[in-house]
Formats: sequence, C-alpha cells, structure tokens
Amino acid sequence: MTALLTVENLSKRFGGLQAVADVNLSVAAGEICSVIGPNGAGKTTLFNMISGVLRPSGGRIVYDGIDLKTLSPWRYAAAGIGRTFQNLALFKHGTVVENILTGRHTHLRSNVFDAVIFFGRTRKEEVAARQRVEHIIEFLEIEHIRDAVVGTLSYGQQKRVELARALACEPKILLLDEMVSGMNQEETEDIARFVLDIRDELGITVLMIEHEMRIVMDISDRVHVLNFGRKIAEGTPDDVKRDPAVAEAYLGRQRAETLARAGA
Amino acid sequence: MRTGDYKQTYGELVALVDSPPVWLWSAVLVLALIVAPHVLNSYALSFLIIILITVTGALGLNILTGYTGLISLGHVGFLVTGSYAYAILVSKYHLPPLVGFLGAGVVPALASLIVGAPSLRLKGLYLAITTLAFSFIINTVILEMRWLTNGARGIAVPRPEIFGISFDGDAAFTYLCLGIAILTLLATLNIRRSRIGRAFVAIRDNDIAAPVMGINLHAYKLLAFVTSAFITGIAGALYGIYLSFVSVEGFPFLLSIEALAILIVGGLGSTLGAVLGTILIVLLPEATRLVFSLFSAQMDAMFTTGAQELKSMLYGLVIILFLRFQPRGLVGAWHDIRRTWVHWPLRY
Repeated sequence: MTALLTVENLSKRFGGLQAVADVNLSVAAGEICSVIGPNGAGKTTLFNMISGVLRPSGGRIVYDGIDLKTLSPWRYAAAGIGRTFQNLALFKHGTVVENILTGRHTHLRSNVFDAVIFFGRTRKEEVAARQRVEHIIEFLEIEHIRDAVVGTLSYGQQKRVELARALACEPKILLLDEMVSGMNQEETEDIARFVLDIRDELGITVLMIEHEMRIVMDISDRVHVLNFGRKIAEGTPDDVKRDPAVAEAYLGRQRAETLARAGA
Repeated sequence: MRTGDYKQTYGELVALVDSPPVWLWSAVLVLALIVAPHVLNSYALSFLIIILITVTGALGLNILTGYTGLISLGHVGFLVTGSYAYAILVSKYHLPPLVGFLGAGVVPALASLIVGAPSLRLKGLYLAITTLAFSFIINTVILEMRWLTNGARGIAVPRPEIFGISFDGDAAFTYLCLGIAILTLLATLNIRRSRIGRAFVAIRDNDIAAPVMGINLHAYKLLAFVTSAFITGIAGALYGIYLSFVSVEGFPFLLSIEALAILIVGGLGSTLGAVLGTILIVLLPEATRLVFSLFSAQMDAMFTTGAQELKSMLYGLVIILFLRFQPRGLVGAWHDIRRTWVHWPLRY
C-alpha cells in the first residue's frame, strides 16, 4: 500500500516550548491509524499542522504527493483533508443540517450573483447538497436531531454532528481528535462502529487521536505513540502494548519496571 | 389543520417559504403596502418611505454585521458615497437613472474593497475603528473634490424616470423604494440560504473551523464587506433622491449608530429582525415626540430644536435596554410569543 500521508521531521515550537519535535510518521491509504500519548504530548498540535490550523516550524508534510507547505490552509479541505476538533468547533447558532451543509462548501460552485438569484443551476446544486446531507444523517443515525440548533444538543450528539460535517467534505483522510472523550460505553461503541464503516464503506483513511485504549487497540491497524513532542514507538496495537518505552511514558519508569518484572 | 412538517421532495427543503400561511400573509402585506400610498396622508407616507429606504440599508449592514459578525461603524460612508455616485452620474452627467443606481452600488463596493483589503485582516474593534475613520475621510474627500462634487454646496437630485415611468410623486416614489426594498430582501434571503451565506455565518460562529471546511476567510470577509457596501450604496442613492439634494451634512455619523441600533434591536443575524428593528427605530423618535407633546408644547419645541441630540440619546437608551432585557431582539420576542401562542395553555 502507498502512503497517503507522510510526515517528515515535523517540528513545532511555541516560543521556548517544543510542542512537536522531529516526528516522522506515515499513513497508508485505507488504514485506521491512531496517535496516542499522555496529555501534552503534542498530538493535537500535530493534527493542527496536518489540517492547516497551524504552520509547522520545521520539517514537512506530504499528502497525496503534495507538499502541504505549497498550499494555502483553506485549500486543504478541497485537497481531501477533513477533521474534527477535540473541543467542538461547530457553528453553534445553526441547525444540524446547516452545519453539515457548510461542510459541502468546497463541492458547491455558485458565486454571489448565482446566490442572489437562486435559480436553475444554483437551486439544483443546493437540492443535491441537501440530499447528500440527508445520506450522511442517515449514515450516522442522527435523523431525530436534524433540525435542532447545535448549541442545544448534548456533547455526544455534537461530536457526532462534527463527524457528519467532516464527512460532508468528502475527505480522503479524516483526522479525528478524541472522538469518544466524555462518552459513555454505548456511545463509544457506536463511534467505533462508525469509524470502521467510514473506512470500509466510504473508503476513507482514518487517523485518530484517542485516549480510550479499548477503541485504539480494537480497531487501529497501526499505532503511533508520542511523548513530550517526540515519537517513542510505533507498530501494531500488540507491538505497542508490549513496548517498555510506552509503559514508561504512561506509568513512569519505576512502575513500568515493576510491571515488566511481574510479567516476566 | 397542520399537524406536522411533511415534505416529499428535496426541493421543498431548500425553499424560502415552506408554508402556505406565510405565503398568504406576505402577499397580504405587499398588497397593503401597494394600497398604502393612496390611503395614507403625506405625513404618514414620508415615514413609510424612510422605513423602506432604511430597511434596504439595514439589510446591507446585516450581511456584514449580522451574518458575518464584523462590526462597521462607518456604513454612513458607503451611504454618502452611493448617494453622491448617483447624483454625479444623473445630475451632472445626465446619464439614465438605472446607470445611476448601478453606480450607486458599484462605487461604494470599490471603496469597500480599498478599505476592506487591509483592514479585514484585523478583528473586532479594530475593524470598527478603520471603518469609522473611512466614514470621516470620505466626507473630507467629497468636500475637497469640488470639481466633481460641488464641495459643500452639494448637488440637487431630481426624482428619476425609469422606462418612461415617472417616479416624481410621493406615491410613485414609494413604489420605487418598495420595489428595491423587496428585491434587497429577496437577495439577502437567497444569499443566506446559499453556500455564500453559510460561509459568512461559519466565519461568524467559528473562524478556526471555517477554513477547515475550505472557506477562504479573507476572501469571504471581503465579499461580505463589498456586498454590504453595494446594497448600502443603493439605499444611499434612494435617500439622496428622497431629500432631493445630496450634501455631506445630509448624512450625519448618527446614521451609522442608527443602523447598528436597528440590528441590535431587531436581533443580530436575522433578516426579519432587520425589518422589525427598522420599523421600531424609525418610528421611535416620532412616537416619543408625540407622547411628550401630550404633556406640553414646550417639550414639543425641545424635540424640534434638539432632534439629533435626542435621537442619539434615544438610540443609546434602546440599545442598552434591549441588550439587558431582550438580547435576542424583537425577533427573539416574536419567537417567544409564537411559542406561547402555539403551546398555551398546555405545554405539550
């Protein structure tokens, strides 16, 4: 399989803080990849650079053969990079449908003159977009809240709307930032099922940041581990589980050694 | 009786109006407005004309402040630019009024491009300040370019004649204003339900998520600014025609505040709000005057001499009262009333 996304020696520095340092990773098309690591490891900063919210201080990101440095951040969506945000970045005054429609932005063509007249091509385009949105709503099983104002929904529902909005962009790679944080068991399992469906039915490559280890270990093909901005391990879920460096990052050296001895 | 919201085609989902009663009442309202000029006396008619012109301008500002969430304190600058563009094209160069109206839109739009390109990279208060500066600079420019604008002497503007129809009388002129106000209303509603309007609202609600959706922040902010200036300029041309004379003094800074007051009182971001807000704000000074004149003739005289000062105090007062007691504006109050009406006396 070819790499859809390659990150080479990527760094980000905020003043004196090295948030991400020399990270290399690659995601093959059709994979579900996870990025894990303790709080403050630089996972979200890495995502922000891949999705164009932040510009890297060093290194490069190659997506689908394009060096992302050569692209304005707002063009990333049209290139096929979609994402969700950790702390909900929905358009909170709009309804669910409106939010998802906004995700269709790059797939619609009408300019302001077409919009003023709203007839013929523009109307056809809007109707098609609305239909597409209905498919996504059905896919993510949020029919019952489609006309609700986003700000009035529960946290778990808002997360799902964000996922729907990202899917409306028709991305080739989807970056999911802590989708299941704050969700109960049932909601978490729903999301795990959706992530698998997104890959298997829609053919979208998934890169996700996740703290919930069950979902990481169950559905990822590859796992990358960050700590203090550096990558400390990578491999299949089982490889990572056995890696002493990972245990140390999460549990501290002493406890990790005790565990290793007990295991041996 | 309507028991649910059933739709059978996707086309119905993007329709502007989805219920027959709304169609009916809109038609009734338009009919009433068509009959009005023949029924109302000239005093009442002047308020109708001012309301229609102000609605057009307020809808223009609503695109920038309501939809896109950018504050402009200098919209009076576009109003005056539009009125002068019309006056110069029609009175000085004797071009047809339609060309004048086009110019009244295009010239402010170009001005907004020049002001907006650098200042839209700024946010919030800074944009308010640069637009405020623009509205004062444009006054000086107009006063200094005497060869084109007659400086402080101003330009007389005749009532137009379009396609052989004379809009000279007050009733006919009301129809012109009504036509333009309705077209503007439809245009802004259509913008709001298209990808352009959604991009504006996305920028207002979350400017980090918007670029991730593929929205070019700078370009769309500029587009909102230019569209807004275009519409405001047309309102300016109408206002100039109504006054039958354009001069810098005819467009005081207070108009910028009045426009913002309209949007706040009506409910920010709502098109219906802009209309309701206009009606309230235009009629408020007159209504206040009437109430006070009941008490004494002295009060009445005070209102005539210090109209501007009292107006600005009134606007300030209404803005404060609305922000404190009804932050969602008249449109919020309207929604509350409607909900009570539907659910009373049982909530479910």
